[in-house]
Amino acid sequence: MELMTDLFGKIFGDGLSPTGLLIAGGLTMALIMSLVMALCAIVFTWTERKVAGFIQSRYGPMRVGRFHGVLQPVADMVKILGKEDIIPAEADKPLFMLAPLIIFIGSLLAWAAIPFAPGFIAADLDLGLFYIFAVSSGAVAGILMAGWASNNKWALYGAARGAAQMVSYEIPLALSCIPVVMLTGSLNMNDIVINQQGGIWNWYVFHDPFLFLAFMLYFVASIAEVNRGPFDMPETESELVAGYHVEYTGMRFAFFFLAEYANLFLVSCIATAVFLGGWHPVAGPVVLPGLVFVIKAVLLVLLQMWVRWTLPRLRVDQLMHTCWKVMVPLTLLCVLGAGIWMMATGELG
Amino acid sequence: MTEYVRDICDTVISTLKGMRITGKHLVRKPVTLQYPDERWVLPERFKGFIINETARCDGCLRCAKVCPVGCIYIETTGKGKDRFMHRYAVDYNKCIWCGLCTVECPTGACQHSLDYDHSLYDRKRLVYEFVDPRQPIPCHKARRLELGYYVPDADPGPEKGE
Repeated sequence: MELMTDLFGKIFGDGLSPTGLLIAGGLTMALIMSLVMALCAIVFTWTERKVAGFIQSRYGPMRVGRFHGVLQPVADMVKILGKEDIIPAEADKPLFMLAPLIIFIGSLLAWAAIPFAPGFIAADLDLGLFYIFAVSSGAVAGILMAGWASNNKWALYGAARGAAQMVSYEIPLALSCIPVVMLTGSLNMNDIVINQQGGIWNWYVFHDPFLFLAFMLYFVASIAEVNRGPFDMPETESELVAGYHVEYTGMRFAFFFLAEYANLFLVSCIATAVFLGGWHPVAGPVVLPGLVFVIKAVLLVLLQMWVRWTLPRLRVDQLMHTCWKVMVPLTLLCVLGAGIWMMATGELG
Repeated sequence: MTEYVRDICDTVISTLKGMRITGKHLVRKPVTLQYPDERWVLPERFKGFIINETARCDGCLRCAKVCPVGCIYIETTGKGKDRFMHRYAVDYNKCIWCGLCTVECPTGACQHSLDYDHSLYDRKRLVYEFVDPRQPIPCHKARRLELGYYVPDADPGPEKGE
């Protein structure tokens, strides 16, 4: 947050006390993060439809907006705002209304610790990475609330599966980041990024084969965590009639969607910061750090979209098998292997 | 144990193969035509909307009789040499585009055109009238020759219309 507090300090001079600067900086960063989330939803819904279109040998949106349907998300937003807000008769009203908010907040809170550029991080916590994983687990409660409060068996099935999936895949997700923490010696996101300076071969993903494997495992676990791609059993259209958000209409439904796309960008940002060198460019001095970071994260998002439109869906038992019997042993192997490598090359102090 | 490792390898390899295929699709030009800006080049024998060249039509009623849904409306007045056709209409609410009328027509008046995009807002406008009631078409061969209409096996004379 130093960038923001410095900026406010320059604007207001001595007019604001240090606490005032902190509050102003914090509020601005919160506003920016919310805007980033909204922007994600807008840009990535369009991107998803175009990528899906081209992979299927068709164009995707073309008419709304002059060029390749760029204003399609705006049209979708207007449409969704105009829909009737239906709450099922026997539904648990407070829970029903709270669920989308909790899912949204679980996503928004994690944005606080993402290092976009030096100094441009909302909360420079010493526990950065741990905080992110802890806080994104909050969304699981939201899913269960949505499924239960809908008063619909299919919603409950979808919610139960979704919760089981999210909780299970958090383990390989966090475990695959442990070798990185071992190498850095700290959970602070800024430290993790700063440690990867000096060109592409200093990025953690190319540090040793175990870390490369860890990155692959992180990528797969992150797709499962976002309930996307081949792991979207809880919200499938054909099998479970849209799962836990079947009874939601209009803007409430849009919240689920917003949270999903924001989560997608979030896990890509975490992968960029932790494995792909954050704001450091491929070679040369640090130039436009925010842009470099965002470009890397967007490339990962495109990769996730590519994977989604390639693979068929995993059945729920296959999903669980993959998590517990394949990914958890492999991530543990990565931790072990990375540790032995570090001892062998003498990096551990 | 080997099966476990082989399963993982199979998964990874097949995923990569699948991604290569979709990757190729991603970068090549889509096959969609952006209608109405881009249209398909139609084949010669495309079965479009039926048109009736009234210059060649001699009111034999064969098309109306063979039509399976009865969508051709022909009205004639008079008898013998004074027989005139004053209405020839095709009702496209009913037409099934089978083309039997074009097969039956002895003079080649009833033909398929290359039209296909005739969307309208009013159903009544889908009944296409081909004959102007103020200029009825003669049906009898002698009268047609007299007035200069097309007769298939007549001596060459000037043809009205095409």
